[in-house]
Amino acid sequence: MFNNRKTSTVMSSPYLAWAFIFIVVPLGMIVYYGLTDDSGAFTFANIASIAQPEHLKALLLALELSLISTVICFLLAYPLGMMLAKNKMGNQGIITTLFILPMWMNFLLRTLAWMTLLENKGIINGVLSAMHLPLIHIINTPAAIVIGMVYNFLPFMILPIYNALAKIDDNVIDAARDLGANKFQTFMRVTLPLSVPGILSGVTMVFIPALTTFAISTMMGGSKILLIGNIIEQEFTLSYDWHLGSGLSLVLMVFIIINMIISAISERKESD
Amino acid sequence: MQKKKSNNVFEKIYMGIIFVFMYAPILTLIVLSFNSSKSRAKWGGFTFNWYIRLFSDSEVLNALANTLIIALIATIVATIIGTVTTVALVGLNRKTRAVIMGVTNIPMINADIVTGISLMLLFRVLHFNTGFFTVLIAHITFNIPYVMLSVMPRMKTISPSVYEAALDLGARPMYAFRKTVLPDLAPAVVSGALMAFTMSIDDFIITYFTKGSGFDTLSTKIYNEVKRGIQPEIYALSAIIFIVVLGLLFASNRMKNVKIKPREMDERKAKGRKVRLIAATAVAMAAIVFLGMLFGGVFSKKSNQVYVYNAGEYIDPEVIEMFEEEYGIEVIYDEFESNEIMYAKVAADNAAYDVLCPSDYMIAKLIQNDMLYEIDLDEFPNAQEYTGPQYFESAQAFDPGNKYAVPYFWGTVGILYNKTMVDEPVTSWDVLWDEKYSGEILMQDSIRDAFMVALARNGFSINSTDPKEIEIATQDLIDQSPLVQAYVVDQVRDKMIGNEAILGVIYSGEAIFTKRENPNLEYVIPDEGSNVWIDAWVITKDARNKENAKLWIDFMCRPDIALMNFEYITYSTPNIAAQEMIEDEDIRTSEVAFPPAETLKRCDTYVYLGEEGDRLYSDAWKKVKSAN
Repeated sequence: MFNNRKTSTVMSSPYLAWAFIFIVVPLGMIVYYGLTDDSGAFTFANIASIAQPEHLKALLLALELSLISTVICFLLAYPLGMMLAKNKMGNQGIITTLFILPMWMNFLLRTLAWMTLLENKGIINGVLSAMHLPLIHIINTPAAIVIGMVYNFLPFMILPIYNALAKIDDNVIDAARDLGANKFQTFMRVTLPLSVPGILSGVTMVFIPALTTFAISTMMGGSKILLIGNIIEQEFTLSYDWHLGSGLSLVLMVFIIINMIISAISERKESD
Repeated sequence: MQKKKSNNVFEKIYMGIIFVFMYAPILTLIVLSFNSSKSRAKWGGFTFNWYIRLFSDSEVLNALANTLIIALIATIVATIIGTVTTVALVGLNRKTRAVIMGVTNIPMINADIVTGISLMLLFRVLHFNTGFFTVLIAHITFNIPYVMLSVMPRMKTISPSVYEAALDLGARPMYAFRKTVLPDLAPAVVSGALMAFTMSIDDFIITYFTKGSGFDTLSTKIYNEVKRGIQPEIYALSAIIFIVVLGLLFASNRMKNVKIKPREMDERKAKGRKVRLIAATAVAMAAIVFLGMLFGGVFSKKSNQVYVYNAGEYIDPEVIEMFEEEYGIEVIYDEFESNEIMYAKVAADNAAYDVLCPSDYMIAKLIQNDMLYEIDLDEFPNAQEYTGPQYFESAQAFDPGNKYAVPYFWGTVGILYNKTMVDEPVTSWDVLWDEKYSGEILMQDSIRDAFMVALARNGFSINSTDPKEIEIATQDLIDQSPLVQAYVVDQVRDKMIGNEAILGVIYSGEAIFTKRENPNLEYVIPDEGSNVWIDAWVITKDARNKENAKLWIDFMCRPDIALMNFEYITYSTPNIAAQEMIEDEDIRTSEVAFPPAETLKRCDTYVYLGEEGDRLYSDAWKKVKSAN
């Protein structure tokens, strides 16, 4: 370490070996399976199959639902992050903790909770019928999946936004106000731009898992609604077609890379 | 001033709403854990029963122990590797550093499903024995980046001069590192480790793909349970986890508040606190490891085992215990949801299980792909003596010469309906297309059964491979899908018992069971005909415990055992001796359990359709599922 290249190389080599075997090689295998057929011959068919109506539909639906969820998460989390960041005194540590706490519950239990609430004979309908109000039928619809996504991933949006906002120096805000900016201007030209890194990491942390989930859509959608994650999962666990599953995974990775590039560009713009 | 106040009120309301949104669901789970009624909509009185049941459920405790052990070991290993690497990075040149950080970012940014699948492919191709160690490797792999990204920023702020000074003063590198760098690094290392631990405990997707047979963490266990129908024990488990997490977080929060002024504490007190902290951590870790050894059996791999892969809810659990006791063989018991899921698992790793219980057409497929082990019926005295010869005769249809399979149960597929909620007599599959029952219909989430319904309704063969007929059936199923509440397998019975739906496609055995719980339910085999099936035990070709598998199969054919299983799951038993021993007259003569010949004449068995036929069906099924 510290300028001793030899020691450093020795120290980092176990991880390098590990990363090569368990990160790089497995990804290479997805690429291999995605680009070959049963006989091992090279083909683009697995990737091209994304154009099949049922695959395309699943992908578009997944994109739609995950975008909606990301926007809802952002709209809910940003004001909350501001409120949490503003109350810098007192027991705000505890309060912040409370908003992040559900993240520590098992993710499937969190989804299960909403299943229980939304079922046709579930808690919410039980309460509604006791009050003689019309019942809701949300379970097994895309709306239920969005609720499941928002609920599961909201803490992942709150945390980075809160962190970014809490880091903003109060003096910067005061300076803007002293220089004559009104509240709205201060927000638009100071607070918001300074919180962009937090927003970006929040968006990534919500969008990617939402886009690729299969558990939430299975549980909240009653196996009626297939997202791209379900299609890929079923190629491996049901149809036993590793090639097709890998090919579709490669397509999915394109969206992950797009997301990465957008983040990187915005971040660079920020630092300019 | 006034404005500020109203602003505050608004803020409080807003925070309150989000707070309710986040905690109301958790609170309902906790409340339900004390509800003595199994129904979620009704309050049946206060009970601790589910907690007692939870603590006697060794499978859930096992899964909990596995989760903790995996998380703990993965965190420790990842923290060590991650910290050492991060420290080393400082000494490397820019380029190498960029490459390492790039690779490290991959599991963080990549979707879990891709990471999980990529590791699964690696383990399968290398013929790794999937289970505890593959899950551990996967967790270490995705944990290292969290540690590195947490330690990295802190490492960058540490100036080498103090360390170099220590070296100049004669300290050996390790000592100098421990005394100068490590203390500064410690908080970042701890927070990285905490992050890794959290991720590890919460992970579902990566574990799901890398776990293999007979191994579950809490996440995968819950996923299975949910698919099977939610048991209130799971509510009890959620309540406990929530309380523990809440307690831990408040404790850590208090500790953090104390830590703010460490300089004001006198040295000894600080040291005492440190020692106590370390001791507490050590005790906690020891407790976790002990728990794991107690329940997980991770380190005590017995050689005398048998890996059984059976359909869901398809055995009396007591039978498993009896087998273990009588033969001293440990049973690793897993359940599959459909024949297709079973096939994908066994095709990927034939040795994953020793003994399977697939249906007729799937056995034919397994035989054709050379995945089964040829048996000699002479080695199964119980099967020879007590299983009706007519069932072996029927089995010849998919297993010519009876070379692979021993019949376990048989039955039909039909409609289960709630007679208080249906107006007309149910005699046709068409009722499942009646818009009156929109949202009240449960279809089987199993390819062949779903298509059987549509094919039979149109008067086609249930084994059709005619693309035109499949197309018509597909269109029918697509037209039906808006009316369907959900596609489920084992959940049909819970939902029908709980009046969650009016009509459901179900296997005959569930009919007797559900009728016991809800007398309004009635089972019918529609006039257009249906499927009659046989499920049979087979041994995998590469099974590691073939002798134990044989013992298992013959044990299932013992009349008392066959009777126990029959009374528990109420499917039609091919065991003649057990049939005669059924005490309940109604059941012994039940037309559901033992349908008369004229009903069976309407029913067909499934035939394996070949690779192309399979593709035809699975592509069509995808179209149905993505229709709405």
